Amino acid sequence: MIANKLSPEQIIEKFKAMLGKAVLAGEIIRRAEGRKQAANVQIWLTLDKAALKAAVRLLCSLHYPHLAVISGYDAGEAVVLVYHFYIYYGEWRGEYNVSLRISLAKTDLSVDTISDLIPGAVVSEREKQEFLGVRVKDIPDARRIFLPEDFPEGVFPWRQDETGIPESMVKKLYEAGKNEGEKRRAASVDSKSTRQE
Amino acid sequence: MATSETKTHSPIKTVIGPIHPALKEPIKFIFEIEGEKISKVDLAPGHNHRGLEWMATRRNPVQILYVAERICGICSIAHSLTFCRAIEQAAAIETPARADYVRTIFAELERIHSHLLWAGVAALELGFDTLFYKTWEVREDVMDLLEYLSGNRVNYGIMQIGGVRRDITPAQHPRIRKSLLNYTILFDELVNMFLEDSVLRMRCRDTGLLTREEALQLCTVGPTQRASGVAADVRQDNPYCAYGDLRVKAVTPDQLLDEVRGDVFDRIIVRLLEVKQSVDIIAQCLETLPDGPLLAIPKIMVLLNHLKKAEGEGIGRHEAPRGEVFHYLRLTADRESPAAWKVKASTYSNLLSWIKMLQGEQVADIPIIVASVDPCISCTDRVAVIKQGKTAVYTQEDLRRISREKTRRLRQG
Amino acid sequence: MSISKTLNKSLWVYHVNSGSCNGCEIEIVATLTPRYDPERFGIKLVGTPRHADVILITGPVTKKMKEKVLRVYHQTPDPKLVMVIGACGISGGPFYESYTLAGPVDDVVPVDVYVPGCPPRPEAIIFGVVTALKKLEEIQSKK
Ligand code: SF4
Repeated sequence: MIANKLSPEQIIEKFKAMLGKAVLAGEIIRRAEGRKQAANVQIWLTLDKAALKAAVRLLCSLHYPHLAVISGYDAGEAVVLVYHFYIYYGEWRGEYNVSLRISLAKTDLSVDTISDLIPGAVVSEREKQEFLGVRVKDIPDARRIFLPEDFPEGVFPWRQDETGIPESMVKKLYEAGKNEGEKRRAASVDSKSTRQE
Repeated sequence: MATSETKTHSPIKTVIGPIHPALKEPIKFIFEIEGEKISKVDLAPGHNHRGLEWMATRRNPVQILYVAERICGICSIAHSLTFCRAIEQAAAIETPARADYVRTIFAELERIHSHLLWAGVAALELGFDTLFYKTWEVREDVMDLLEYLSGNRVNYGIMQIGGVRRDITPAQHPRIRKSLLNYTILFDELVNMFLEDSVLRMRCRDTGLLTREEALQLCTVGPTQRASGVAADVRQDNPYCAYGDLRVKAVTPDQLLDEVRGDVFDRIIVRLLEVKQSVDIIAQCLETLPDGPLLAIPKIMVLLNHLKKAEGEGIGRHEAPRGEVFHYLRLTADRESPAAWKVKASTYSNLLSWIKMLQGEQVADIPIIVASVDPCISCTDRVAVIKQGKTAVYTQEDLRRISREKTRRLRQG
Repeated sequence: MSISKTLNKSLWVYHVNSGSCNGCEIEIVATLTPRYDPERFGIKLVGTPRHADVILITGPVTKKMKEKVLRVYHQTPDPKLVMVIGACGISGGPFYESYTLAGPVDDVVPVDVYVPGCPPRPEAIIFGVVTALKKLEEIQSKK
């Protein structure tokens, strides 16, 4: 059993008490499936980006969190990052999903690294740097991770604005061999064996 | 072998990969080797990056479902199920109970298939060909069963947003039960083969260690994490589909032996025990399969319309054979395609654990350690040894040969 | 099935994954298991392109893999054949448009045999190899 386990409501209270105004919104969602409709808990918190580190530290003090991944999207004026954590795992139906949402204005796309608290976060942070163009401060390893070496600078695949993928970079694979049938028919009129090289 | 002639003490750089199809990120390993010991490891994934998340912003959700299935052909149920659960939350769709059960049965069949595949690969890397052919033969039986139920051997096309596309009818139960019985018998054989063999034990015990703390800090998932003693399993911690009714318990190696070491051997044990667990889960599901519809919204056009208007976000999670798969999805009312889709596959979380496991180990142990995380098969396809500016190439076969020679030495000695 | 007298050696196959989903990989490996047993025809998977007669390519060729595919192609001795396994190597399949793809395969290297399917069944793959065999014989008999 996990000692001093808090209820989802208490967790939100705790965040509000510790971080004050930096907690912009908090919501608890319960989803249930199967015949017995056993419900799972999701806690969604929207934070000011300055409070991210403190929030992760708070989570660490409750129970060492497992970071699933950092997801992110382009929300027009800002880039939003969502950090998906789990706490209280290892127990029958005991786990809470805690998702921390922060929004980075496009004028200042920097965010603190959390890899000093959770070393495993570095993969996800590197990915966010190259796909969304955010800048993770003090990241221990800032290299590209998934994109090719010759990928142009300043292009970020998940952005929906002018820094997104330009149409000229998109390769349409289905167009391969489009006019080839025509060509082949023309060629076979000339000579039958030209294709055999 | 290129390493044996070196007289200098400077580390040698070795590159493995990148032909390595683990999920969406094949990986290149760069090793620094001193003598037989690995002193430093670095990873370069991304060779398989196809831009799936970006593609999704140009398609409608039902089309994405088929792409999700093809994120990984081995985890095709895992990704399509996770995607469905994420979008169901985003669009507030409730799946019928029967669909939850059918999903569970398929997910567990996939686990059996994947773990058997893995056991075969592990045996091959160690040089136990008999075992390799044995497990793969049984795996063909699982493939047959999956084909019998879904109509396809790989990429089953069984999930649909709001439910499943095909039913499991009472007439199909005997065939499933027969296969389950086979797997139980096989399980006993495999446990014997893997546990009784002293050479296998020598190769795998205390090789590729990952402690509990490291497993937690590096965010590892699945059997890799459980073999290090973290009793986390999405099916237990955060039950979904039918798992909430079945009380699944996370498998840790101490359930069979009485200690946890977090080595390759423990990872083998966890996977073997999970095969048995899956057989039990399927049997229970068959017994308690509820009646009712299979789809929340049977008409595709109605479904698409609903999804078009829906607004919200959702997360989907599933304990895939290799560990947790996670999808985040966001729908906005102004567009048909999702505004964001983030896929996290299991190997993504296990990337960093490799570095810890491989450090200080021998070259001959690379194949089995890399395989013990269960990435995909050809992860050790090519190894290039860069030695004083010249490049020598270790092929997959060379590496495997080194690994096998070690087994043989142990056998004779 | 007849293996004609012009085939003076067994057909050895090398497999390259150029960014596929693994679906085709497992079917290729499944093809090699005792159930289908292609080794009775001498068809065998080898670990290096330098030993191969046939290169099997799966996947839509990501930009990072393009150069590696080309290298494998040039390392394979002549006469050689290239087979594409799976829809995504033929026309992109489910990955029909993207910013990181350089494919399909025949935009990168010349292809001799296409095996469609997503993934193709093991029977189809064996049939593809046999078709390749015939083509190889044709090439050799022309010499
Ligand atoms: S053809 Fe289909 S199954 Fe084969 S690799 Fe491509 S997407 Fe996967």
